[in-house]
Amino acid sequence: MVTKSAQWLRSIPLPLLRNALLIAVLGVCFIYSASFRTFDGFAGRQIAWIAVGLVFFFVTVQLGYRFFLGISYVFYLFAIACLVWVDVAGEVHLGAQRWIELGPFSFQPSEFAKLAAVLSLANFLGSHPPWEGEGRAILTAGFLVGLPFLLVMKQPDLGTATLFLPLGIVVLFLWGLRYRYLIVALLSGLLVSPFVWSVLKAYQKKRILVFMNPNLDPLGAGYTAVQSKIAVGSGGLFGKGWLHGTQSQLDFIPEHHTDFIFSVIAEEMGFVGSLALLFLFGSLFYQIFLVIDRTTDAKARLLGAGLLAIMFFQVLVNVGMTFGVLPITGITLPLISYGGSSLVSNAIALGLLVSVHKGRSIF
Amino acid sequence: MRLNILKGAVFGALFLLAAGLFDTQVLKAGYYRSLSENNRIRLVPLEAPRGRVLDRAGRLLATNRPAYHLVATPEDVTPTVYPKLATLLGISEKEVRKRMSSEREYPFAPVLLQPDISQKLLFQIEELRPELPGVSIQTDGIRSYPYGEVASHLIGYLGKVSPEEYRAGDRARFGLNSLIGRTGLEKLFDGQLRGWRGGRQVEVNARGEMLRVITETPPVAGEDVVLTIDLEFQKKLAEIIEPKKATVAFLDLKSHELLALVSSPAFDPNVFVSPGGGEERLGFLRDHRSPLLDRGVSASYPPGSVFKLVTALAALEAGKITPHTTFHCPGYFRLNGRGRAFRCWRPEGHGSLDLYRAIERSCNVYFYNVGRLVGPDTLAEMSRRLGLGQSFETELTNLAPGLVPDSVWKKSRMKEKWWPGETLSFAVGQGFLLVSPLQVLRLSAILAKDGEWIEPILIREAGSASKPLEKKMAIQSKNLQVIRQGMLKVVHSDYGTGQLARVDFGQLAGKTGTAQAPPHDPHAWMTGFFPFKDPQIAFVVMLEHGGSGGIAAARVVKEALQVWKEFYGDKVSPVA
Repeated sequence: MVTKSAQWLRSIPLPLLRNALLIAVLGVCFIYSASFRTFDGFAGRQIAWIAVGLVFFFVTVQLGYRFFLGISYVFYLFAIACLVWVDVAGEVHLGAQRWIELGPFSFQPSEFAKLAAVLSLANFLGSHPPWEGEGRAILTAGFLVGLPFLLVMKQPDLGTATLFLPLGIVVLFLWGLRYRYLIVALLSGLLVSPFVWSVLKAYQKKRILVFMNPNLDPLGAGYTAVQSKIAVGSGGLFGKGWLHGTQSQLDFIPEHHTDFIFSVIAEEMGFVGSLALLFLFGSLFYQIFLVIDRTTDAKARLLGAGLLAIMFFQVLVNVGMTFGVLPITGITLPLISYGGSSLVSNAIALGLLVSVHKGRSIF
Repeated sequence: MRLNILKGAVFGALFLLAAGLFDTQVLKAGYYRSLSENNRIRLVPLEAPRGRVLDRAGRLLATNRPAYHLVATPEDVTPTVYPKLATLLGISEKEVRKRMSSEREYPFAPVLLQPDISQKLLFQIEELRPELPGVSIQTDGIRSYPYGEVASHLIGYLGKVSPEEYRAGDRARFGLNSLIGRTGLEKLFDGQLRGWRGGRQVEVNARGEMLRVITETPPVAGEDVVLTIDLEFQKKLAEIIEPKKATVAFLDLKSHELLALVSSPAFDPNVFVSPGGGEERLGFLRDHRSPLLDRGVSASYPPGSVFKLVTALAALEAGKITPHTTFHCPGYFRLNGRGRAFRCWRPEGHGSLDLYRAIERSCNVYFYNVGRLVGPDTLAEMSRRLGLGQSFETELTNLAPGLVPDSVWKKSRMKEKWWPGETLSFAVGQGFLLVSPLQVLRLSAILAKDGEWIEPILIREAGSASKPLEKKMAIQSKNLQVIRQGMLKVVHSDYGTGQLARVDFGQLAGKTGTAQAPPHDPHAWMTGFFPFKDPQIAFVVMLEHGGSGGIAAARVVKEALQVWKEFYGDKVSPVA
């Protein structure tokens, strides 16, 4: 029994898990730094969430990615139902609603909709290779990604919604979509953007306009952007030291334990610290690429690429917004930002990747 | 192959991020570090002036006056400042600390210590400025109503935003201390009158003093609103009815514009924006004469005999009577031999009269007979067609809907059938029937305009005069002619109930009403239009518990018409 579980553990690729845990622990340190003055206890709760995440991780590995692919459509329908439910509840409560309350817990269905979309997309495209006809496959794929995209955007959560786009593009690209279709897709994206613009809420339009010209909104998002940039820049080469940030400590930046956690890290650890964190993420992505490289299962390849796309795009946008090269959207930094739903969904994603690694054919 | 492209994209993007961070954190570190020390960048919101409200002649009903607010940035304040401020403001040091720690929009935002300070205090503070680090003066527009109580019910009043409204609102429109319209036009047009806040990012030195402006977005002032009301005319009318509990309103029949809409007693809306007005505000609420109530539009009363016009028209239209149908009035009316006697207001009776005389003398018994002929549902239908119990499209808040009863309403509301005696009360404007004075004004206007539907206009489109929609109702002209003829006799016959309203510069048509409201005095009504030929205006006067319509209300009508002539009389042709 002992030897069996030891064997099972040994089959898990250590570098990937180690990297992920290291990133999560770093996250706890800086959540603590961002919130210790207000005694909110976010750091303690994050540790609990990491434990919960580990449970989800091992359960996912045990069940295996094939099990998840098998239930992907059911999972997808369930996630869509949750999004619609949140939407309806939001109408009733007269306000944006992103959470579903489950007794003492509440979760963000959009986090799980991302997973559901990747799983069903990989399952569908993996069994419809491009040489069997691209047209219908592309339409179905577009629908699988487009539906949750629209529902999340309607919440309104522009940031999370945009994550569905790189997800769809990367998976289709790796699936073998011809370049000319890719170009057509990009062009048609440009064509529909005025339509998308018209359905955006006033505050979302404002955020985009403010990103292009921060002076438009000196009281709101523009101010946050400037203050976050000052926090990052004033960190310098070596930073002000853990717990010694000034910008982020003084509440200049809202949500510094969630969306703007990177400003805290960059201010307190400086360029060296931010580079180290980027390096950790880079090596995590490298591990994921290895997993994708080594599998021979077409579905697993696509699944891995989709999960990678989500995680990578979150890192890119989240870090980019803290020093003003990308617009401010409510996208969290994976494994670092405070939040149970995001941590659990990332744990499941890593579990799926590890399971792909274990399931590779070794000849 | 494609996987390699993905790898290239991912690691390339990470490299670009690292390069960007290098630029921000290493190359520009000095610049950002200097900005972060003492948090040199501060945000100063610039409040937008609220749009003005003007009358038809461009007079200011609501505008803004400059005010000085005492503010402080708590981060820059030293402990020695507290006792000094306490002495200056005449409050305890504890109170200063309390105000200093009130909620703020963002870090380093100044808190409001004392709004709208006096010139004297302003100079004292300016002199002491070097000893008061962190304390400063903010200049700002504050709402002001130059006409005071005049048209106060129309303009309404402002109040501070609640924390919930502030959180739900757009930062560009609401600040923590913003005011928001609570009633009247201030409420209805809040979105238009409210401008867009601006802001200024400034760099300050270690003492919190401004060094330079980094960026600035100027505020955008709110839009003006122009009314059809004539404030000077309104003011004169108010002087006639004050301090009675009463209302008087005038409507221009050519343009359908409201010229005046007066309710008394009134209140001074300035009290709601002045910092020390709390006591007076409570006074308005406690006053048993309810000065905050707009008696012209937000209250309903029984119309009394004014309603006989509707009863007559309903019967004529239904073909139940002709103008020459005659009934005998012995001073009372019985439904059957042994039943209760319904009294006429004249105990000795009016004898035999036709419809013209019945309107002229306001004979109850005549209309008891007519009411019995047409029944409650036909009366109710005609009432609604003439706008009683109906809503308005006019830009007014808290419109009283009134109540037009019928047999279906009675059944569902009282679980009881409609009794014949109730028809009699209904026919003379008593019983369940309730109307607002504005509805009665519309009734007169519809009669004067020969059955044209009227939506009173209160707001002028930018610059241009109003062009009312002409919408004729299916009511026979000859019947309306009969009613108008009756109304003329009310004033000009020697037996008419409205003789006291007679003016020497034209023929007036009207109808009085004395609506019973036991246990108090009856409500005095008079409504009508002027001049009889080619009418220019419709009016209504209502004195709450004011006594007899033919005496109290008719006197007010006469005075009001004389005022109207002073303002607009040169257009009236003299008596032929």
